[in-house]
Amino acid sequence: MLSQWWRRSPPLLEAMISCLRTRIAVLLSVLVLGCVKVYQPVSGLSQPVVVDPRLANFQDVRLAVYCPPGDLVNAVEARALCRKVGILFENQGAQVTTYTTDRRVGDNSLGDELRDDSADASIEAPPIDLSLELRGREVQAGNDHLSWVLFIATFTLVPGVTEFTFAQDVVVRDANGFLLASDSMQGRIVRYAGAGTFVTNKILDLIWRDEEDHIIGDKPHSELSADFYGQLSQLTFNAKMRWQVLQEASSAARAE
Amino acid sequence: MEWVILVSLALASLVFVTDPAPGPIRLKAQARNMDCEHISAQEAHQRYPGIIAAAKPRGDYVERRAMVCKERLMRPGLRVPQDDAILSRLEDRAAELVGVAMRPDLADRTWLVEAHYPSGPVSAKIAFATKNALVLQGLAVSDRTPVLGVDDLDVITHMGPWRAYPAACRRYADTGGMGAGDALLAVVNLDPRETILHAGVCADGRWEWLQ
Repeated sequence: MLSQWWRRSPPLLEAMISCLRTRIAVLLSVLVLGCVKVYQPVSGLSQPVVVDPRLANFQDVRLAVYCPPGDLVNAVEARALCRKVGILFENQGAQVTTYTTDRRVGDNSLGDELRDDSADASIEAPPIDLSLELRGREVQAGNDHLSWVLFIATFTLVPGVTEFTFAQDVVVRDANGFLLASDSMQGRIVRYAGAGTFVTNKILDLIWRDEEDHIIGDKPHSELSADFYGQLSQLTFNAKMRWQVLQEASSAARAE
Repeated sequence: MEWVILVSLALASLVFVTDPAPGPIRLKAQARNMDCEHISAQEAHQRYPGIIAAAKPRGDYVERRAMVCKERLMRPGLRVPQDDAILSRLEDRAAELVGVAMRPDLADRTWLVEAHYPSGPVSAKIAFATKNALVLQGLAVSDRTPVLGVDDLDVITHMGPWRAYPAACRRYADTGGMGAGDALLAVVNLDPRETILHAGVCADGRWEWLQ
């Protein structure tokens, strides 16, 4: 009986196999694509920003930018960060010198060879008005183990979740080392792996969310950069204003 | 059949809806309107005993941490960004400025407060918060505001801030707007691009910038 059915229904079996193949291919392709990465400003990164980074907010201010390598960024990444931050302030009229050394401890092993603007270390550093120090650190990184168990058990219907929270400590001082402004900005990157979360967000992007609320795509890094550079410009501008007030106060005191 | 699979996938992902990050039911604007902090499970249990369970006596099987998020009082865009930045930290900022302004030789004075900010209503709030901070320090505070004549104002308003405030302070003393028992704390916004406030003290006709 069974052999008769087998002989009589090869087209049905082929159709089933073909259908199964299609579904596996669809699921695999979704799996490959199915990683959703979102950025969440935890604290300090979504404060109101008034200063417009396209204007000359730091005209003729001599700014030293320090980006020492640390736990979060290696020497190459620190150099890239310093270069980008330098461009940010140069576009606003500042005269920028960037260093990937650790100004705090003066440890040559922390990237002294990567001084950007002065190839010869014996050359004296140019005079500065303000110094900006950027130090990144990891606050928390984790895998939600239960979510990964469910991820496998449900064939990726339930997303596997990994998250990473970082802090960027920013300190602005004057040429004498006087603290003018400081802040610690925290952000979080959450990765959801799995077809379920990918499809859900894709559908919601298509039918419900506005363009600026879309989640699928390479937006987390650009959103983080926009927040970070905006906050950095605002904090440094506030520091510049405080520096000017203190300069005025000290010159008045000298005059008396 | 494909639609059933897609809907199942969509529903399954809603298991993780409590995360404060943007996701299926939380828009990016909503996530941006929260201030969050990472705390340990033990601290979370102390703060929210009914929500976060205490660690088991022999420890948990997995490391637990909590992220506590508080939604901001005002939704984004409701206030002008500069006003929002100033007002959201006004109490702390006023207390900080008063702390800097307190000097032993001015402890017995009656304090007057002026706030100079582009927006009138925000300026009034700044003055009120500053007076509150002074009162909390046990200082005598008056609602009186020293006034200048029209001629003085005409001259002073054409000066830059570095010259205007010392000049106004001198005129307050010369014209009797401020007496020997008065001290003035001025809270100033010097540039529309900044989100901080500066302060200066006027006493006995002498002006001093604080920060």
